[in-house]
Amino acid sequence: MNNLTILVVDDDPVIKRLLGQRLVKEDYTVLLAEDGYKAEKILKENHVDVVLTDLMMPGEISGIEVIDIAKDLDRNIEVILITAHSSVDTAVEAMKKGAADYLEKPINFTELFLRLEKIDTMRSVLRSAEDLRQAMDVTETNAAETIQNLEIAAGDLQQKLDAIESILIDDETDSHSRVTEALNILLN
Amino acid sequence: MLKITAEELKVIAQYIHEICGISLDQSKSYLFETRLGSIAEELGCKSYRELYDKARRDPAKKIERQIIDAISTNETLFFRDTSPFDLLKHKIIPEIIDARTPNTPQLKTNVKIWSSASSTGQELYSIAMTLHELLGTQIKNFNFKLLGTDISDTAVKQASYGKYNKFEIERGLPRQTLQKHFTLFGDTWKVKDELRGMVNFRKFNLMLPFTGLGKFDIIFCRNVAIYFTLQDRKKLFNKIADSLADDGYLIIGSTESLTGICSRFVPKRHLRAIFYQKK
Repeated sequence: MNNLTILVVDDDPVIKRLLGQRLVKEDYTVLLAEDGYKAEKILKENHVDVVLTDLMMPGEISGIEVIDIAKDLDRNIEVILITAHSSVDTAVEAMKKGAADYLEKPINFTELFLRLEKIDTMRSVLRSAEDLRQAMDVTETNAAETIQNLEIAAGDLQQKLDAIESILIDDETDSHSRVTEALNILLN
Repeated sequence: MLKITAEELKVIAQYIHEICGISLDQSKSYLFETRLGSIAEELGCKSYRELYDKARRDPAKKIERQIIDAISTNETLFFRDTSPFDLLKHKIIPEIIDARTPNTPQLKTNVKIWSSASSTGQELYSIAMTLHELLGTQIKNFNFKLLGTDISDTAVKQASYGKYNKFEIERGLPRQTLQKHFTLFGDTWKVKDELRGMVNFRKFNLMLPFTGLGKFDIIFCRNVAIYFTLQDRKKLFNKIADSLADDGYLIIGSTESLTGICSRFVPKRHLRAIFYQKK
């Protein structure tokens, strides 16, 4: 069972359909777009984990711009680029912009599935770290509240003790009124 | 992983305490093994005793620095626990500005703030961002000196660069604040110059005398004393009391307490946070 939702963006209908079918066969949830414009629309309306996009596409939005659009919407979306061999330099450039990886055409599916598994593993590790952190936050918040109350209570007691001490050592006053005054502080 | 013997545990624990003040629980040998094992192996040591001897004999103290880096916990995040920063914004900064504003209008208000265990810098940058948020463009009329110190060279270096990866950034920073104060380079976020220019970081060992630091108006000492022995904690907060202005503010970790540790401070509550002032 694969948990990732993958958006495939490719202007070539044959490649797009082939990719989609292979991913569905592997149990991934798949969304399809034929250009950057459609991809943007889908990203805005759906939760997507991974975008698999062709680098070179006709129209106004290129694969590189799809990275920006996806990352702007949700920084956690991972983008894998599909490139022709000749555009490897551009792909490396794209990775600097935040793409997770790139694959050269023709697509080696074993390689693609490995990358997706890696992303999936990474996500579940991050998720459990996040769960742990939240559990720790709850514990910490509760502990902090208890400690703060004790700290203020201890501070108040210390103040009373200091006041009582200064009254009791004050030998200008007779001992009876010193004790009465000290008791007053204690009982307040 | 290289195994540590009971005798080595004693020697290494003593050594770690000596170089950075951290008191490690000797019943947790795995802690020593997981944190120091790779250093030992990298240096080709066959035992922890050998690592210890090498560290002692190393005149450049490079191994000592590696050990400190491995032992000191650098778990931190931007605006870790929001309450101290709310406290800063709504109470401490307005009060200290009132108290420090000179009668002569030409003179700038000086405020000195110290993040005493600054790790990779998130706390001090969070303080700087809080000042920006509170004062806006008026910030240029004040003279804030923000100092961050830490025992780990690596942490100090990262703090000075002000570069954070997306995992470090995503925790705690609202997107708006992120875009206001950071620039993205590939997968790295870099603190913008206006913030970077407000802060200074340097290596400092809290176990040593606090000479040459001067007095501070606000001191943050959060979640570091928890790694010290009771005796060292007492000494630490006594030195902090000496370094704090008479009307200054001390903020410690939200689960820490000074009861039984330093009687020179009085705890005060504001909203959901506690701060300390000198008696």
